[in-house]
Amino acid sequence: MKMEEVSMSSLDNSKLEALAQDILSDLVEDACLGLCFEVHRAVKQGYFFLDDTDQESMRDFEIVDEPGLDVFGQVYNQWKNKECVCPNCSRSIAASRFAPHLEKCLGMGRNSSRIANRRIVTGNNTNNKSESDQEDNDDVNDNDWSYGAEKKAKKRKSDKVIVINLFSYNKG
Amino acid sequence: MFPRFTFNITHITGALTPWCRFTVFAVFFPSDLNTMNKEARLKATINQKLTETGERERLKELLRAKLTECGWKDQMKAQCKEVIKEKGLEHVTVEDLVVEITPKGRALVPDSVKKELLQRIRAFLTQHAS
Repeated sequence: MKMEEVSMSSLDNSKLEALAQDILSDLVEDACLGLCFEVHRAVKQGYFFLDDTDQESMRDFEIVDEPGLDVFGQVYNQWKNKECVCPNCSRSIAASRFAPHLEKCLGMGRNSSRIANRRIVTGNNTNNKSESDQEDNDDVNDNDWSYGAEKKAKKRKSDKVIVINLFSYNKG
Repeated sequence: MFPRFTFNITHITGALTPWCRFTVFAVFFPSDLNTMNKEARLKATINQKLTETGERERLKELLRAKLTECGWKDQMKAQCKEVIKEKGLEHVTVEDLVVEITPKGRALVPDSVKKELLQRIRAFLTQHAS
């Protein structure tokens, strides 16, 4: 039996289609049988009904699908409008902005020293009033051991500023 | 699977002795036989190719994945639960399940899944045409 004897071109499309349908029905039957075997084994081994719970607890934990609530039925933006009082500067801050504010206020986060140094260099170019307030707070909250280092840093930065200015004069 | 064909039944005339009785189911003309054989051979070859190249396994996996995705499996499991409740948990057999579930399963396969599988099968057939 060679393939050349049975050429597909000799068959028309309907026969091809019938063949494809046959193959599909074979595959579907396989899938059904597989499912039957799986279910039968689950029944005989005793784990078929394991994932069912009684109706009452099903109703208790049903997924909530209402606007303004999450899937557990809790209000999820409840804390958006609440305000907290900062223990440091005694200002009233919005809850979602509280953690970053505290970071800068106490001078303990990663960014707070960077921002402080940057502000020293740029001087008056502050974005808003609150930031300049925090600068004062930063200075107040510096520890003794780091104050010296910042002083040196300040000196070097101011030297740099002078040098750069000289450069620009020369060019001009 | 016997291919679907119409065939002509003709009478057999011959020397019949009175005590000779035989039953004729059907008589096939040679041309019919030829076509039938050809198609049966083609089908066998295609099935062989499907298995050899691993395409049949891939198609099976694809079908299973699609059926689970579209919820057919869960539907069928619910049907199985009905059958089990009917026949009793202890006494249900594979045969019971197969007999009840297979026709429903065949009917409930969504058209999109069927179309996609058919596409792949057709592509395979045209690719492996001699």
